[in-house]
Amino acid sequence: MPANSQFIDVRQGLKQALMQVQKPARYTGGEYNEVIKDPANIDVRFAFCFPDTYEIGMSFLGEKILYELLNRHENWWCERVFMPWTDMKQKMEELHIPLYALESKDPLTKFDVIGFTLEYELCYTNILAMLDMSGIPLRAADRGEEWPLIIAGGPCVCNAEPMADFFDVMQLGEGEQMLQDICAEVEKAKKQGLTKQQLLENLAGIPGVYIPSFYDVTYNTDGTIHAVAPNNPHAPARVTKAIVKDLDSFVPPEHFIVPMIGAVQDRACVEVLRGCVRGCRFCQAGQIYRPFRERSPKLISDSARALCQNTGYDELSLTSLSTSDHSQLEEVLDRLNAWAEADHVSLSLPSLRVDNFSQSLVEKTTKVRKSGLTFAAEAGTQRLRDVINKNVTWEQIERTCTIAFREGYTSVKLYFMMGLPTETMEDIKGIADTAQKVVDLYYSLDHAKGRGVQVTCSVACFVPKPETPFQFCAQDRRETLREKQKYLLSCVHSRKIKVNYHDSATSVLEGVFAKGDRRLGRVIETAYRKGAFFDTWEEYFDYDRWLKAFAECGIDPDFYNYRAMALDEVTPWDHLDVGVSKAFLIHEYQKALRAETTQPCNRQCNGCGANKLLGGPCFDYGKNLV
Amino acid sequence: MTTVRIWFEKRGMAAYISLLDLQRVMHRALKRSGLPVWYTRGFNPHIYLAFSCPLALGQESLCESCEVKTEEESPDYNAWADALRPALPEGLRLVRVGPAVMKMGKIEAAGYRLTVPASAAAALDAYNSAGSVQVEKKTKSGKKQLELKTWIPCVDYRVEGENLVFELTLPAGDQVNINPALLLTWLEQNHNVPAWQCHVLRTGLFAADHQAFA
Repeated sequence: MPANSQFIDVRQGLKQALMQVQKPARYTGGEYNEVIKDPANIDVRFAFCFPDTYEIGMSFLGEKILYELLNRHENWWCERVFMPWTDMKQKMEELHIPLYALESKDPLTKFDVIGFTLEYELCYTNILAMLDMSGIPLRAADRGEEWPLIIAGGPCVCNAEPMADFFDVMQLGEGEQMLQDICAEVEKAKKQGLTKQQLLENLAGIPGVYIPSFYDVTYNTDGTIHAVAPNNPHAPARVTKAIVKDLDSFVPPEHFIVPMIGAVQDRACVEVLRGCVRGCRFCQAGQIYRPFRERSPKLISDSARALCQNTGYDELSLTSLSTSDHSQLEEVLDRLNAWAEADHVSLSLPSLRVDNFSQSLVEKTTKVRKSGLTFAAEAGTQRLRDVINKNVTWEQIERTCTIAFREGYTSVKLYFMMGLPTETMEDIKGIADTAQKVVDLYYSLDHAKGRGVQVTCSVACFVPKPETPFQFCAQDRRETLREKQKYLLSCVHSRKIKVNYHDSATSVLEGVFAKGDRRLGRVIETAYRKGAFFDTWEEYFDYDRWLKAFAECGIDPDFYNYRAMALDEVTPWDHLDVGVSKAFLIHEYQKALRAETTQPCNRQCNGCGANKLLGGPCFDYGKNLV
Repeated sequence: MTTVRIWFEKRGMAAYISLLDLQRVMHRALKRSGLPVWYTRGFNPHIYLAFSCPLALGQESLCESCEVKTEEESPDYNAWADALRPALPEGLRLVRVGPAVMKMGKIEAAGYRLTVPASAAAALDAYNSAGSVQVEKKTKSGKKQLELKTWIPCVDYRVEGENLVFELTLPAGDQVNINPALLLTWLEQNHNVPAWQCHVLRTGLFAADHQAFA
């Protein structure tokens, strides 16, 4: 371990720093259910780093899952690290306090493995800031034997390339087994005194593990990729995503750390299923988390109850990409309702779908508390909804809203996107028309006198993402999106309708990094050196700073997001296999251009290829599943 | 309905839990404990929970208290303490559980032990010899000037190792509330005594005539 003489003792420094920053409880640890161990008995020390604030990181289910799994090993200790808010970061730098883990208050250099979550593209600079605050060299190539192993996981690893220079190891897919296998190899390597290179070669054999330095990228003269080829015999030509075949084989986390300060998602939650049957063509999660797997109603209910008892949470939410697609959702809700009310726990289902939302479902979720309704319509016209394969019709929206309004709901939130492939101004007007029809529907039904309806349209800018049928598309330019936003506002004529949208500068950058390659590592580092971090926070995001960084590195960002890719182009992520085949993505893209829809895959297999990860079909199509 | 008073320490890193957060922390601890606490009736039933005399962020205490209600006629307070003790997070140590003898509004004063670095001796002497010490107190209605000497005429400090230690009793409760940090801010602003090197520990809560609050 390198000597970090530039830093002072953390606990000593905190005495001063904590009195001078906002919300100091973010930096203290000591929450209920935090795991404390004696470092003298530990073989593998793991720092789980979330590159955003405590409030956001503590809402993240992935960390809770892995924290409990790793800490079940008596001789491993997983601790938490978050990005300090700007006032604390400044204070720590001023006082020479290194970034530290909340549990032990030890600096990151004392750890064997430092793991980062790559949750979204715009937090890449925070990762560099966190390494820098620990005095750790940013680039893997500059880190010798004395430095901890720096690894990554999370959804953005499906195109790992922009961050490839900074990581020793990246994990493609689900971490439950993979991360434990990695830690077991690290423990073995420490005991056997292996070199980092030997350790990396051992790790390369674990399903889902990607060692960026074991691959060489060559480019064509037009800047596209010629090939990505392994340079080490231990590295597979293509890395295949790791999955948990049977969700019931891992008990969901039942001992969440209970934050003192309000986290963004400060409630108990249980993951009821993984993957999605829908195949919306814009949605990356819907593709990369395939195949679809369910947890059994009994395990969901038992774990949820234990979780509520162990944490004291009085709110429980069922999470997944599409909870109402659980084939036994009614049984899940019946089991939960059998104890929830008596235990003073209220239930919420965040991701309900318009098309299979039923009367009994509404009743079962509103027994204890009634909140607003949210629907993702995604596009304003049927034609465009068919293009993106969001198989929702106006009739379904109407039916669902009717049920909801009769149940007493008065506020509806509709999610839309703009900048979708093949979109015209007619589709933009359709967003306003849809919202107006919901308002009209409310007033056509019996409603309490004086109680108005509020329809909120949240309109996001579409960003083409890798491993989706729309990965081949160019992103809409900022000017175009601005025009569309302006036009949308001109189409809204009711005060009952509120339109929310964001400036698209962050979406531009998101589009560049989503489809970027290894050459962008230099840009990220340059932007960081120029002061970029917390890019997800509008008040710290500086688009011009990024443009300067691109210019300095001689890289044209437009090449990545404003250029349509040829169907046979080698993508920066072709060597990373998430299960869904490229042939399927091309097929779906071509169907999209013809506005042809694809059935949910629990009705019929569409041949995406992800079932190879299970080693057999995803569903028993002999049974009536829907 | 019985009103139950819970006494606990708030020490170490728990000193950084704000009052708003403390309510949430205690609410969840009570829920984990499984104790038969009373829930408010209403649209969103929640545990009835009331705190007395909020402590400033960063200060520690031996005597924090809160009140809950229960439908139990004569609760077994030792059993309550045993159930709640393991449900509290680090730094919040249960002291005892007992009946709420007095109403919270009876609190009139709090006792504090302040620890400052030995180098602050000259500053404290300067305070003691000053005829008037005006400090700024933030209130809900804005800032107002306050004569600190009215409440702390003299600081009777003693040397303990590398520190100076002294006790203060200051008004606390619904009517007048004087935060000992006002003195520390004055020492910092006028005599460069770093406030972060000073430490405040609340040691007692009192009703009228210096009778211990119970």
